[in-house]
Amino acid sequence: MSEIKIAPERKLTDRDLRRVFWRSCMLDSSWNYERQQNIGYSFGIVPVIEKVYEPGSEKQKRAYARSLDFMAITPQLSTLLMGIDAAMEEENAANDEFDDSAITAVKTSLMGPLAGIGDSLIAGTLRVIGTGIAIGFAQQGSPLGAILLLLIFNIPGLLIRWFGLKFGYQYGSTFITDAAKGGLMEKVTFAVSVVGLAAIGGMVASYVSLDLSMITVGSGDFAQPISDYFDMIMPCLPQLIVFGFMYWIMGKKFKTTWVLVGTIVVCIAACWIGSMMA
Amino acid sequence: MDNLMMQTVFIFFVSAFGYCNSCFNSALFNRPLVLGALTGLALGDVATGCQVGATLELVYLGAQAIGASNPPDMTSGSVIGTAYVIAAGTDVAEAVAIAVPVSLLMSMWSNFLMAVVGPIMAAKADQYALACNRRGIDLMHWGFVLIQVISAAAFCAAGFYVGTQAIQGIVDSIPAFITDGLNYAMGIIPAIGFAMLVRMIISKKLACFLFMGFLLVAYGGMNVVGVTAVAAVIAAVLVFNTGLFAPTQVASDVDDNEF
Repeated sequence: MSEIKIAPERKLTDRDLRRVFWRSCMLDSSWNYERQQNIGYSFGIVPVIEKVYEPGSEKQKRAYARSLDFMAITPQLSTLLMGIDAAMEEENAANDEFDDSAITAVKTSLMGPLAGIGDSLIAGTLRVIGTGIAIGFAQQGSPLGAILLLLIFNIPGLLIRWFGLKFGYQYGSTFITDAAKGGLMEKVTFAVSVVGLAAIGGMVASYVSLDLSMITVGSGDFAQPISDYFDMIMPCLPQLIVFGFMYWIMGKKFKTTWVLVGTIVVCIAACWIGSMMA
Repeated sequence: MDNLMMQTVFIFFVSAFGYCNSCFNSALFNRPLVLGALTGLALGDVATGCQVGATLELVYLGAQAIGASNPPDMTSGSVIGTAYVIAAGTDVAEAVAIAVPVSLLMSMWSNFLMAVVGPIMAAKADQYALACNRRGIDLMHWGFVLIQVISAAAFCAAGFYVGTQAIQGIVDSIPAFITDGLNYAMGIIPAIGFAMLVRMIISKKLACFLFMGFLLVAYGGMNVVGVTAVAAVIAAVLVFNTGLFAPTQVASDVDDNEF
């Protein structure tokens, strides 16, 4: 298979890629409201720009400026983009015919879809799977929970980061279209979503609680807590109802913090009314 | 150095570690599970720290950066909340009452930095870019990181130092219905995070797996680790052993034969 987009001569060594890898780990740390991860992205890609272009040249100047453009991407997937970017910067340096607006175009068009996949798969689902496994240990007072969470999240995260960079640099932007055509992304997304949703379902039953045993039905000797009736219908039913309610509320575009504060206020108010009646 | 001063220094470093989350792989250093354990270690009660961490983790489960929306400042909430429970020896649920307002307050500071100071430093980086000065860009990056980490960690340490002296008075003045209410809220709040996550992942095709996980625990009495393992097996079967992901033409051929 021939690839015309990539320059035949490769200037960047594994050592250069390792530098980009370590620097990319700081992507989110200089986040700002104006151009988001722009300083962080620039911090990651500058070793490439420094190496492939003639120092002080017009091309290098434009490349540095371009690296500070708006950027918003899932940190663990950022290196895939940096790899592609690095391959294109190299091509741009070697080839005077190359139109460098293509680099901006590729960055802009890829960051949205990559952030969409990455935020839900890595920052959302992988983290939740890790939390589901870790939280039971922590509840029993064991630091193993914290350690497990960090391992489950970061081992895949760092592997994606390193190999994303390698693949991105090697195959350029064709890599993404190939992966999409082969259905690889679809399979990964499906598998991770299945595990993630099952873990969340399990956690709804395990970690959401609503104790209704103080509300009784009937009177005198026949009084029975309402929770007994719920148990007869289905175990963990109150949890499922609470979850269903929150799922509905979260579709209403309220700010999460207000839902959270509202829940606390309602619960305290209910207990206050309860204490007045007692 | 007396004991409180020493603990304050520890708290500074634990908070700084939390704020360094995005300095290494966005590695979840700022999650309550991690910071609860570390704060417990700093104050000499790892077990309680882990339990508070678990409680706060469920509160902040849905908190993650999506696009331009920033999650509340979990680091300050986790560290101060955990320290409060350990110092006052109160109910784990009361950590929430401290953590939520503290993290909202600290979010204002970090939002100020990210909205005002960050763009100023980005503009300075633009100038260095035009001068082809790579070290200048690096400096703006490191500078902004250090400003954020050190200032925020210093706030946490100061809050701990001042707060612990006032804690006993606060604890005695909380009426019982507030503590009870917080305990109920603690049971319900995790559902908010679960709902947010599910809204992010779910599709009609996948909804059944949410219920599978729920039923395995509700009727089967499994723990979440077990549910995850079962789901992984099912996912593997569906991906590798069925025609679900076969090329489109083949899939439609199969459909024609069956119906």
